[in-house]
Amino acid sequence: MLHDHIIAQLLAQNKEWAQVVENTDPGFFERSAQGQEPKVLWIGCSDSRVPESVITASMPGVIFTHRNIANQCHHADDNINSVLEYAVGTLKIPHIVVVGHSKCGGVAHAWATAHDEHPHRFFANWGDLIPFVKAGSALERWLAPLTAIARAQPDLSVEELGIANVRAQVLGVIKSKVVKKAWEEDQELWIHGWEYDLATGHLRDLGIAFGPEGEVAETV
Amino acid sequence: MFYDHVLASLLANNKQWAADVHKAEPGFFEQCAKGQAPKVLWIGCADSRVPESVVTASRPGDIFVHRNIANQFHLDDDSALAVLTYAVEHVGVTHVIIVGHSQCGGAAACHAAAQSPAPASAPDAPLGRWLEPLTNLARDGNLGLEELVEENVRVQVRHIVESAVMRGAWEKGRDVWVHGWVYEIEKGMLRDLDVSVGREDVAA
Repeated sequence: MLHDHIIAQLLAQNKEWAQVVENTDPGFFERSAQGQEPKVLWIGCSDSRVPESVITASMPGVIFTHRNIANQCHHADDNINSVLEYAVGTLKIPHIVVVGHSKCGGVAHAWATAHDEHPHRFFANWGDLIPFVKAGSALERWLAPLTAIARAQPDLSVEELGIANVRAQVLGVIKSKVVKKAWEEDQELWIHGWEYDLATGHLRDLGIAFGPEGEVAETV
Repeated sequence: MFYDHVLASLLANNKQWAADVHKAEPGFFEQCAKGQAPKVLWIGCADSRVPESVVTASRPGDIFVHRNIANQFHLDDDSALAVLTYAVEHVGVTHVIIVGHSQCGGAAACHAAAQSPAPASAPDAPLGRWLEPLTNLARDGNLGLEELVEENVRVQVRHIVESAVMRGAWEKGRDVWVHGWVYEIEKGMLRDLDVSVGREDVAA
């Protein structure tokens, strides 16, 4: 079968990694198999440059993770709502972080659509094969709420839209049935908005946070 | 306390990691900021124990990712479809990998639910709806839990193969592949189920 070497490479890297972990921390995998007790649910972007556990140097077991295009939380999306239900309802995870990032393709497309511009200038480099979102596609539907935010706030630059997006998705999370129910039942649960800067590798707390008592003024 | 040390330590770890990377490879982040060209889309479980880039020792930029409950790819799910579309058509990944895993809470719940007959009415909450196909799979095939984890991967691979995105890519002559893997948490090891589908495997 004519796969390129990528598949073989990933599997080989995994084998080596597993060996290193077992040597460094014998019994790690056996313990891992007993269960998971993550304290954080990460709602982030599918972007390959933002792997939550690598950029926070976290071992398996630390971060429960949902990644989609432009880190969205749509009201009627069974996909994310089932993640929330499991994370909050079953695993009782106390912290949800919604993490946006700079140079987000989804944000760029939404901005370009709202400004009636071709998105070309946001994708000057590598790997972007189709510079437009097909009309009537799932991707167009998916980016519609974000495009609406861009239209409603036309003065925002692309990067400012990215930040506004994080705030909007945090609001989406706190309005979900799952979160409302958790707070009604006095569950310890906080939702935060963060931003990852690709150019520096730094995560930043945006100072957007909500807890059982409402919006939190300061987060650090 | 609302701002647990957990979050503070993630941020501190990140700062240290960024500094270490910058020291070892001074241009790395600058390059990242220019764009992405991952060759792989990983569709896996949200389970905290299966972070794709850690278990494959991959770097930022290597793997485009969608993680949800029990690594599903439903053909009517805009979230997963948007990811597949963006990954294949906009970013140019050449391999789409569905990765299931042992000790999957979602699969276990479905396996347990399948021991009883199907309820009279459809589930009315997101998680129940989300896992309904998997529960049906377990019930219809009378599958054991391990079998269910594997069959689940095979079914999701079939869904991706059937998707308009993949059909479109293959029609254009693109060499894109779909694979099915299982991650064994007990050993930290990935296993290829050898169910890969490429352009030449699909009828013209």
